[in-house]
Parts: sequence; structure tokens; C-alpha cells
Amino acid sequence: MDMKLLLDWRLHLTVVLASLLAEAIGILRIPLGPGTLLLLPLFYAFLIGVLLNPHLFSGMQRIIPKRVSNAAGPLIMISILPFIAKFGSTIGPAIEQIIAAGPALILQELGNLGTMLLALPFAVLVLRMGREAIGATYSIAREPNIAIISDKYGLRSPEGIGIMGVYVVGTMFGTLYFALMAGYLASLDVLDIRALAMACGVGSGSMVAACSGALAEAAPHLRDELLAFSGASNLLTYATGLYVSLFIALPAAEWLYKRLGGAPLQEVRHES
Amino acid sequence: MKADTTSALNAEALEELRPEQQLGKTALLLAVVCVAAWFSNMINGAPLLQALPGMILLYAMVMLGLVIGRFVPFYLPSVAWVSLVSIAMTLPFFPGNAWIVGQLAHVNFLAVVTPVLAYAGLALTGREFTMFRQTGWKLVIVSLLVFTGTFVASAFIAHLII
Repeated sequence: MDMKLLLDWRLHLTVVLASLLAEAIGILRIPLGPGTLLLLPLFYAFLIGVLLNPHLFSGMQRIIPKRVSNAAGPLIMISILPFIAKFGSTIGPAIEQIIAAGPALILQELGNLGTMLLALPFAVLVLRMGREAIGATYSIAREPNIAIISDKYGLRSPEGIGIMGVYVVGTMFGTLYFALMAGYLASLDVLDIRALAMACGVGSGSMVAACSGALAEAAPHLRDELLAFSGASNLLTYATGLYVSLFIALPAAEWLYKRLGGAPLQEVRHES
Repeated sequence: MKADTTSALNAEALEELRPEQQLGKTALLLAVVCVAAWFSNMINGAPLLQALPGMILLYAMVMLGLVIGRFVPFYLPSVAWVSLVSIAMTLPFFPGNAWIVGQLAHVNFLAVVTPVLAYAGLALTGREFTMFRQTGWKLVIVSLLVFTGTFVASAFIAHLII
């Protein structure tokens, strides 16, 4: 993409102003049932970005033309990198605790397989989705998982459409959802907050950020330990996740889909 | 993470978007996004001057990670290299590790992500909004189930072992 567009001052100034405003609002705590929802500055920054998006409100083109908005795409990946570095710096000093928690960290990666147990039957039996359901539910749909589906079925196949849908939803709302869910589960106090921190590691960079950030706000005294655990877990996800999804999760999803596809509901779907 | 996937998801486009493949361009863009993060850090992190060494360190760690990713003979995502570099530089036996950790403490963890989400909100394309209006709701439900299932299953296993 053209450097002039990527360096457009209107884009970056808007981002700086949106971030300053979001940081100034700060963290809001909203009681909900037995728990508390945490609203973080990154939510407001996202919302402000969406509200200023010229593709949604054409009036915004006067501030940010559409082609400048398109240039923000490649910048997301670059702007997450300093955060990844900050994240890694929480792991180094805590290396001894992480090694001590090693078995829990490694085995919780199997939780990635829990993805489809809930979502695949629901997609097939209730929403009556076809093979899209395999792509949508075999993994959490981040870049390595897309690469696998693209390689195996092609991205224009039903499986490809399924995974791209979840990818887009994850990109749009995943960060927010992970932070809300993690903060809420932490406030319920059922699962160990360190276990929640490890579970944060399943997502992409910004999901992990929001998720562990929310936990650190919920338990400030454990802050450093929680960040270190989710960082280490995320690293392991990158190291092992590709192989777990390719050799275990995808075959399991195919198998489960076939079992569910034998149900009469599937026939109805084809007739209608 | 990038938002404009529906139009750009073939192998070539992915290759082009990988930041370690065009180090010069990335170095400049990275400087710009670091400045955005540096300003964002002003409110809940530290004053600009105090946070400057920390931000420069983060910049250097990212570039070092990308350079390694560019020249090693096998592929690992650039995020993996960047985090390996920063882990290595903050390990207890790394020279100057206390100073590095001290400087990085002036950079607020979440303030660095705030501008990322602002870019993400601005980057959504018409295609993504349209897709959302058409088939969005089914996929939104399935996606939330996927996220919940993964997160709760992982947390549950970890909880049992801890």
C-alpha cells in the first residue's frame, strides 16, 4: 500500500485524539447480576474509531476519506507489535513462576479443543448451518487457523466462509468480548484467576491484551503474575496451536460433523 | 491482526502484509504508531519524557524481532519473534535487565493497546459492515460460542491442575 496513505496525518492524529479521550474516560465498573463488567479505554477507542469510520457514516469522509481508512488495516498489525514487546517483558522477570506452572500451562492448551463441543452442535442442530460450521467452530479462527483451512479446502469453500465469518467477528468484537467475559468470570470468583489468565492466551494479540488487562484490573495485587501467565500461554498457543488444530481439532470437527449430520434436522435443511 | 481480510486473503497478500518482509517501510510506520502509543500513555502511564526510554526500548525490541524473523531460515510469526526478544531481554540474567524492566514500567500495559483499537475501528471496510448486516447474526452467535467454549474449557483445565 502507498506510503503516503499509510502516513496520512489525519489518520494518526485522529487515533491519538481518540486514544487520549478514551484514556481520559478511564475504567468504568458496571455491576451486573453477581459480577461486575469492566469497561476499558480500549473499548471506547474502538467505538470512537467505528463512529468516525467513513464506510459506516459517509459524512465522516470530510475528516477521514475512505482510502485513508483502508490504510488503517495494515497499521493494526504493526501497532500491536510494541504491545507484544511490552507483554513479553512481563514474562522474562517471572520466568521461575512460569516454569513452576508449566504442566497447567501446557495442558490448558487442550482447552482449545473445547471450542467445538459447544459451538459445532449448536451451529448444526439449532442454526442448521452446513459445512460452514466446520470452518467456523474447529478453532478460534486466528491467522494460523485460517492458513490451515485455506490450504485444505480453499477460502471460497463453505469451510472457508465459516472461518472468515468467525475471524471477522473476532476482529470486530473478539477483543471486547474477551475482556468482558474475563472480567466478569473473575468477579464471579468460581475459577482461579490465574487459570483465567492462562485461558486468555488462546486469542490473538489484542484479545490477550484486553483479556489479561481486564483480569489485572480485577485483581491488581496479582497484576504482574497474571500478565506473565497469559503471555506465556499465548506464546505456547503460537508454538503448539497450529499442530493441535491441524492434527487433532480439524479431524475431530469433521468426525463430529458427520455424526451430527446424520440427524434428521440436516435433511430438513436440504429440502427447504 | 488485520481487518481488511475479505478482500486481501490470498497467500500473496498475506506475504505482502507481513511486516518483516519490508523492514524499511515497517521501521517508519512502527515509529509513527509508537508515537501514537507514547501519547496515549501520557494519561494513565507516565509523562512523555519519563516514558521515552521505555518506548524506545519497545521500538528496538520490535525491530530486532522483525530482523530475526526476516533472516532465519524457517517461518515463525513476527509476534512470536518479538515476544521472544523481549522475554530474553528481561530475563533475570540478561545484562542490564533491571534497568530495562524499570524503564518499561513507565509504559502502561493497556495504554499501548488503546491506539491499536482506534486503528481497528477506523479500518473496518464497507464489505465488513455489509457482510455483517446480511449473515452476521448466525456467525456472531457461533463466534461467541466458540470464544466462550475455548476460554472456559482452557480455564477449567488450568483450574483443575493449579
